[in-house]
Amino acid sequence: MELPFADAISGYFEIPIDNARRLLPPHLEPFELHHGSGILSMTVFDMPKSPVGGYRSVTMAIVVVPYVKGAPGERLPKAAVYPYLTGTNAFMPRQIGSSMFHLPHWGDNLKIDLTREGKSITAAVAAGKDPVATLTISEYEWEPTEYVYQSFMKDSSGSYRAEIEVKGEISDHEEETGKLVLHEHEFHNGLSIPDVFDVPFREVWTRNAVQTFGPLVQIQTA
Amino acid sequence: MKAAQKESGKVRFTDYDYSHFYYGAGDDPLNVLGSFGTWLEDAFPSGYYLYAEPLHSAPSTRVRVRNNKTGQVCDLLNMASYNYLGISYRDEVKKAAIEAVQKYGLGASGSPILSGTFDVHEELEKAVASFKGKPNTILFPTGYSANVGFISALMRSGDNIILDQYSHASIVDGSILAKSKTTFFRHNNPLDLDRKLANMKGKKLVVVEGVYSMDGDVCALPEIVEVAKKHGARILIDEAHSTFLFGPNGRGVAEHFGLDKEVDFHLGTFSKSLGGQGGFVCGDQTLIHYIAAFGRSRFFSCNLSPILAAGLVAGMKILESEPQLRAKLWSNVAYLRRRFAEEGVDIGKSTSQVMPVHVHNDHKVFEVAGKIQDRGLFLQPVTYPAVPKNKSRLRISISAAHTEEDLEQAVQVIAGVLREEGIQL
Repeated sequence: MELPFADAISGYFEIPIDNARRLLPPHLEPFELHHGSGILSMTVFDMPKSPVGGYRSVTMAIVVVPYVKGAPGERLPKAAVYPYLTGTNAFMPRQIGSSMFHLPHWGDNLKIDLTREGKSITAAVAAGKDPVATLTISEYEWEPTEYVYQSFMKDSSGSYRAEIEVKGEISDHEEETGKLVLHEHEFHNGLSIPDVFDVPFREVWTRNAVQTFGPLVQIQTA
Repeated sequence: MKAAQKESGKVRFTDYDYSHFYYGAGDDPLNVLGSFGTWLEDAFPSGYYLYAEPLHSAPSTRVRVRNNKTGQVCDLLNMASYNYLGISYRDEVKKAAIEAVQKYGLGASGSPILSGTFDVHEELEKAVASFKGKPNTILFPTGYSANVGFISALMRSGDNIILDQYSHASIVDGSILAKSKTTFFRHNNPLDLDRKLANMKGKKLVVVEGVYSMDGDVCALPEIVEVAKKHGARILIDEAHSTFLFGPNGRGVAEHFGLDKEVDFHLGTFSKSLGGQGGFVCGDQTLIHYIAAFGRSRFFSCNLSPILAAGLVAGMKILESEPQLRAKLWSNVAYLRRRFAEEGVDIGKSTSQVMPVHVHNDHKVFEVAGKIQDRGLFLQPVTYPAVPKNKSRLRISISAAHTEEDLEQAVQVIAGVLREEGIQL
């Protein structure tokens, strides 16, 4: 399945490894950035031309240890994530994301605004009148990209893994120019907000891209 | 890199790095070697050959180096070795080492706490303590073991160790061995340190470095000391790249800032300024006895070779009797900083003898470094994950032994290659 998107902006933040572990199912291991530090990612997608109409989504994830098959010529994943909560501003993509991809979703529509200013882009996420999170990242240099990452999912039906290929243009850097504000909100249940670095150590912006989802592999039954 | 430069769909060896080979498949630990080996087949001839090229001469300003790709031995201008004061190959040092090998033979043949302590070790400890203006010193076989041994000797499970995010691996590994809760603060950022310490209970040790080894920037020690004291934290400074260089008497960055007494623990190495090997910690007698008793990296290692200790004693005599060496080093640093600025070469925030030349392109850094070596300079690229993404660099070490002509040659070659490669100057 192919999902084109106009922009995807991601910030990667250090969090205590204990907090990362609390957000993961037991069969997944958090990736350690440093000793004792896990990685929280927040990604906002802008998909104006999806098969179910234009929409935006926000995904909170923990970076985890990838699954390496060890097959000859295997294309290694650049990263692996466990999205512990996704939110959208429309019903249909939420329905599809939950049923087809087993992604845990915030139940109501979110308001997701994207604002560009110079080389920066800011995503403001709100639930009704309540602010949830604001993520700002900046661009560096654009280059074509083509890579694979893994996503692990878990819901009441079991645990799954998918390989997702991304083709498009990418800008990634570690200039520490971005900013994250997490507001006290149920959306962040399980996350110790004061312990999350408020400056991303890596900022990734992908644009004019397509995500191609490989076959979903069930790795555990319910 | 401009979009047109990359052939769509083609995977470059620089698309992957060591961080991608940390985990392997299945239940056999050796499985990880499959994908790593495949990648290395491409990565080695394309750029990784520049690492661990064997020297066939002393690490002076001119070295004979065997190219790992061609097998050819070349004469190169050395901009890579520490040896900041150019002491390790001085006649006085070699003579002391030769006399020591005649007297003691090759090695210490024992742990320092059993049979491996020699009179020359005690002589070196006294010389370091006197130089640093501290009551006592304890030696370690390497700088790495000094950090690992000291931190894990002092801190325990349930304690807090707070590290700069750019801390050397030995500091991180010491914290792991201590089993303490480790928290990182943003590099050289006292405000973030303050935030991290704010709600911390129990024993706290803040660890900083005098000069950071990949960026060459100096620790913001006055502000960090103020924050640490406010929260009742002890402070360890690792002066690996700053002892014998900074401060009115060369004692280090703590002396440079007039904070010698405010910093609780002073650690240093002999491999940088003196071009030898080994590490040390200074402190009062009881602290030293405690570290000797609980510092496992020292306790369970063979002691520093007495040959090295004798050479280091001779080296310390030179640095004490020739303060002009430090002056020459700082003059060389100033010259190179000025010339790089004139040529538009980006050295980041370095204000020391460790100078990173930023390439700003993770895919080009190996090509740039290879060309620079082909034109007569010995230096290595440093890439992710050793440094942040897109902050690949060429790491330069300046020595007091470099002449102005040496430095000018380095500037011409580096700036010339960066221009040719389209690196923004």
